[in-house]
Amino acid sequence: MKSTVKFLFKTLLFALPVLLVFEVLFRLGYFPIITNSTIFDLKMIRLQKQHIERVKVMSIGSSVGLYEFNSDIILQNLHTSYYNFASWGLQIGDIRTLVKSFAKDYRPRYVIIGSSIGDFIAPLNETYLNYVNTGTYIRKNFPEVFYFKNYNSIHQIIRRKHTAFPVQLDSWGGALLTVKAKDINREKWNEHNIFPTKYTAYQYHELDSLGIWLQAQHIKLIFVQVPIKASYANTPVSKQILQHHFDQCQAIIEKHAGVYLNYHNPAVFTDSLFFDQYHLQAAGGRVFTRQLVVDIKKIIK
Amino acid sequence: MLFTSITFVIFFCLFFLLYWFVFNRNFKLQNLLLLAGGYVFYAWWDWRFLPLLIASSSLNYFLGIGIYKARQTKQRSLLLWIGLLQGLGTLLFFKYFNFFVKSTISAFATFNIRLDTYTLNIILPLGISFYTFRTISYLLDIKHGKIKPTTDWVVFFCYVSVFPCVISGPIDRPKTLIPQLTRRRVFDYAQATDGMRQILWGVFKKMVIADNCAVFTDNIFEHYKTLPASSLLFGAFLYTIQVYADFSGYSDIAIGLSNIIGIKVTRNFNTPFFAQNIADFWRRWHISLTGWLTDYVFAPLTIYFRDLGKTGLILAIVINFTAIGIWHGPNWTFFLFGFLNGCYYIPLILRGTLYKKKKITDQLQPALPALLGVAGTFTLVMFTFILFRADSLAQAFDYYQRLFSRSMFTAPVIIEKVNTAATLVCIVIMLAAEWLQRDKQHALQIDFIKKSPVRVIIYYGLILIIITFTATRNSDFIYFKF
Repeated sequence: MKSTVKFLFKTLLFALPVLLVFEVLFRLGYFPIITNSTIFDLKMIRLQKQHIERVKVMSIGSSVGLYEFNSDIILQNLHTSYYNFASWGLQIGDIRTLVKSFAKDYRPRYVIIGSSIGDFIAPLNETYLNYVNTGTYIRKNFPEVFYFKNYNSIHQIIRRKHTAFPVQLDSWGGALLTVKAKDINREKWNEHNIFPTKYTAYQYHELDSLGIWLQAQHIKLIFVQVPIKASYANTPVSKQILQHHFDQCQAIIEKHAGVYLNYHNPAVFTDSLFFDQYHLQAAGGRVFTRQLVVDIKKIIK
Repeated sequence: MLFTSITFVIFFCLFFLLYWFVFNRNFKLQNLLLLAGGYVFYAWWDWRFLPLLIASSSLNYFLGIGIYKARQTKQRSLLLWIGLLQGLGTLLFFKYFNFFVKSTISAFATFNIRLDTYTLNIILPLGISFYTFRTISYLLDIKHGKIKPTTDWVVFFCYVSVFPCVISGPIDRPKTLIPQLTRRRVFDYAQATDGMRQILWGVFKKMVIADNCAVFTDNIFEHYKTLPASSLLFGAFLYTIQVYADFSGYSDIAIGLSNIIGIKVTRNFNTPFFAQNIADFWRRWHISLTGWLTDYVFAPLTIYFRDLGKTGLILAIVINFTAIGIWHGPNWTFFLFGFLNGCYYIPLILRGTLYKKKKITDQLQPALPALLGVAGTFTLVMFTFILFRADSLAQAFDYYQRLFSRSMFTAPVIIEKVNTAATLVCIVIMLAAEWLQRDKQHALQIDFIKKSPVRVIIYYGLILIIITFTATRNSDFIYFKF
């Protein structure tokens, strides 16, 4: 017995400095790599530090949802608990995975999805499962566990911190972006993502599944089609494709008692409000959010 | 659960506490816990195949007793054949059914005869190749009078499914393992500490070397058509190192865990890259499998072919190694891998040096002839591992063809220079440590260093390398698919 206890004690003693190294890394802001999305990981750590217990209105989406929902305007108008869970590159299927997890943790009554066609073109990102498959208690109280759960090397962690695109998140998860005219990427300005792709039908199916689930949970789904720059639909074919997408999404959402809101309006959202084909600048985000809150105030009680 | 996962760490910590503090009163209790732990560990992978493991254990338990008690040779042989057919039949079905079907269809297609495709969606039960060999050696050893069967079913079931080894070996013989299970294990501090060291060494090999090599080799083998021959050679080199680091790393962890629970398990690798010829290599590589096949396949074949002299020996070796190749999986590449390795023995047999064992050196530096032998053997082995990695014979031959081209003399394409450099440095560390410690069970047996601060510095140095350079991808061990 003595030698067994000695062995256990020595093993723990040996492991302690290793655990301390990771705790120090965490305190210095070198967070574990949870998924392959730097912004998502950053948000989840932020959420953990903010100790948010409940969110009545949850918004989620890809980069369009991240950049275009002005948190101040939403809070000033809704006067309720709100958080923006949007993250770059989320597809609808990923949103479904995350919403199911976040709904358990934060018990929202309303889920607003800020969406565009870019959310329907790629396969699922399985790395989000690294996060959702970890127990809530551990996620909320011991995020350091992710250092060991996902085999982060210190080299990778340090490299990620110093090479990640810098994003300033506000206290509610939003991140408005202003890109100066001279910095606008000319290739992305009139970029035409291939749409639909071989994953589009699957993503529509995922949206349908999400609608079913939210309806069963008595959570109201508000699907928001964000503005797209006019030059995207500059041919009859692309106009038709876009319109078909809008109709498809509307049919799915309304089938499950959700609300479909479409803000694609080139007359209002002129080119000067965008910094690329799909994303509004901060000024455009303010215009868009002001219009949005007028509509969602009628829905959110 | 992977050995290198947090889930396994938690599982093993709980197991350790129960094993040494609660269930340590007698060996029966220890075995019950060992069996329960083994089944939890196995079922965690896929619970659907647990009944197969239990059924195989049950059948072979009764067959063993039956073979021992049978009065007539015919009866003994019959019971043995039932066991062999069950074991090999199950293995053949799960591993090779679709391969046979597809190969038959391809063969008929060459004569323009079209057969209807009928393949099943068969999932290979994890560890079946390993535990089947354990049960077969048990029955054969009883039949040949080498051992008596155990009448304690828990002992036998533990022998089949002892959890550090159930998934990917080592394939221990009943003579080695069963006696350990019939007595109470007493905690041995030195053995457990050595086990921890071996686990650390195994983790270093798996997570730093094997997983980092995998990142490069996957990229090279996926894009080999657009890369120069020098990159292809680099890929072949890294893949050879990867397989070794992955499998020997796994074995080190399995052996280390077994040591912690007081069970000594067969060594599976003995610095194979320092082999001076192919026979020496296979005496050091996957020792438990090659030993198993030597005793149960090669030895009977040499008796069968004894009248053919050296030709008979060649036949026995080639068949034996072809079997080793086929054991690895249902692909013609594995067949050729085994066959080629068997053919490598031919010069040794013809020269009469097959059984000659040469110690490499006692000095720090080997002599030039030994060094050339080592380099030559590594090169031969490296070329066969291209078959091991390739998805098909066509891909393998294409790889070989592109390998022997003028672009061998251009610089290899290296995408991540820092990672590549770090991985190469770690490979050098691994080889240097294994060279210096070649007479030890594993490279971290450094008890000869009397000053404990020095030993601690070495351990923490290795831990620092692991936590700094471990590959971010979380990959299965290569030999899980066998």
